[in-house]
Amino acid sequence: MIRDIGYLKILKTGPGTSVQDTGRIGYAQYGVPISGALDSKSFAWVNHLLKNKDSDAVLEICQPGLKLQFGAPTLICLAGAKAAIKLNGGIIASDGIYEIRESDQLEIGAFRLGSVLYLGIKNGFQSDKIMNSRSWYSDITSSQFAKKGDQIPYFTNQDYPSYTASKVKWDFNWAQKNVIEVFAGPEWKLLNKKSQELIESMQFTISELKNRMAVQLSELLPNTLPEMATAPVFPGTVQLTSGGKLIILMKDAQVTGGYPRILQFSEEGLSVLAQIPTRQIIKFQIKKSH
Amino acid sequence: MKPRFKQISPLICEFEWNSAASDELLQYQLTFKKNLQQDFDSEITELRLGFKTLAVILSNPLNSSVFEDWLNSLNPEEISSFLPEKIWEIPVCYSLATGRDLSSLAKLKNINQEEVISLHTQPLYRIHFYGFLPGFMYLNGLKAELHTARKSIPDREVPVGSVAIGGSQTGIYPSSSPGGWHLIGQTPISLFDPKLPIPVFAAAGERIEFTPITIREFDQLARHPRKPEFR
Repeated sequence: MIRDIGYLKILKTGPGTSVQDTGRIGYAQYGVPISGALDSKSFAWVNHLLKNKDSDAVLEICQPGLKLQFGAPTLICLAGAKAAIKLNGGIIASDGIYEIRESDQLEIGAFRLGSVLYLGIKNGFQSDKIMNSRSWYSDITSSQFAKKGDQIPYFTNQDYPSYTASKVKWDFNWAQKNVIEVFAGPEWKLLNKKSQELIESMQFTISELKNRMAVQLSELLPNTLPEMATAPVFPGTVQLTSGGKLIILMKDAQVTGGYPRILQFSEEGLSVLAQIPTRQIIKFQIKKSH
Repeated sequence: MKPRFKQISPLICEFEWNSAASDELLQYQLTFKKNLQQDFDSEITELRLGFKTLAVILSNPLNSSVFEDWLNSLNPEEISSFLPEKIWEIPVCYSLATGRDLSSLAKLKNINQEEVISLHTQPLYRIHFYGFLPGFMYLNGLKAELHTARKSIPDREVPVGSVAIGGSQTGIYPSSSPGGWHLIGQTPISLFDPKLPIPVFAAAGERIEFTPITIREFDQLARHPRKPEFR
């Protein structure tokens, strides 16, 4: 296969655009966060449709206002949030595969449904691979978030790319729920009955403090638990801070923490959470892990 | 010394010991970790230590009775391997220029700055695990005289290499970051290099010693970086 390098140029961007893949597995022992796509389900879908490797790197887009230009022909695939998207000024659907020619421009506008959009590219983005991952993270990769003028490499075929398979519908219904199944965390049993019942019955609001490290919920809980000896935490761990805040750790979260770990999201639950916009309500449905 | 087993989610479980962090517990945890790795090599994606915990990330869901049976089969008399002897020397410039909270911490503890430095450089600190930031070592061994509650309002930016005290712990910031600990000095040594196959120089179970250096030596080492030395 001919593998020349093409570049995706960032013409304009809002905050929160980054290259992500399946993350740095096995490096938490050195204090390195796992990173990787916030919504692993949509991430997997774009690579699947493009017939890429499962771990190929994609662009994760968390804010409108992104404008891109492709330096060479390729195939791209969109999935995740439903947004207003234009290819060379013409409106296109925010899911499915598109053939890209040299100098094509893609614009990401307002998000109508969901919070995170994925742009996959044939054979994946080729930015630096460090510790077995291309996921951007400060102090590990040279960029943390995309800036105007950035050029992100990808492989291009000199042949004009074509895509002939029938159109597959991106079903985004899985993300349209507000009751999320979670597991009881290691310190759940230390909560008193009243707190447990409260957490199971309450509605929680996704606050504005939502990023790749953590999602903070707005409501405060009475907290009776002391801090504990520092222990491992994971993406999807829900911490109860001494101030009574609930913090859900996301993919860029630190790997250890001292707050009680009262709940644990599954990977699927984390994908759902990643897509829920701020100010929306969620409820927890706690299930036993065994 | 047998831990309790907890299934957290289908792919995450944890062993928890009911005793405070100590050399003895760490020695046991490290042996336990090695045994787990040997016996469940293909089932385990990752093993991670905490002060009293060892978390297991599985590659596929596994019935929790498998680990419970394994736990029951362990011989409690089994002698665990010894902790490593290696001691890393970390040069630290203790001064207000390199540790802006040195005098306020001394005042809080009602001692002078020299006593803070002397109390901080006396012990050998045991590395238990890495966490918080890439390359941040969780150390055990801070003298009780230096235990100081964390700042109520964290600093927006702590300089890279800062040596700090927070609660009953001391540590080195491997990168610049927000932080709530009291800064008493700074090391010119690099603690984390993402380009290396193993990005840190010291392993869990090894020890570190803080050696005081002058601001002149600090500047020299900052200009001409060298690898940390051990004995």
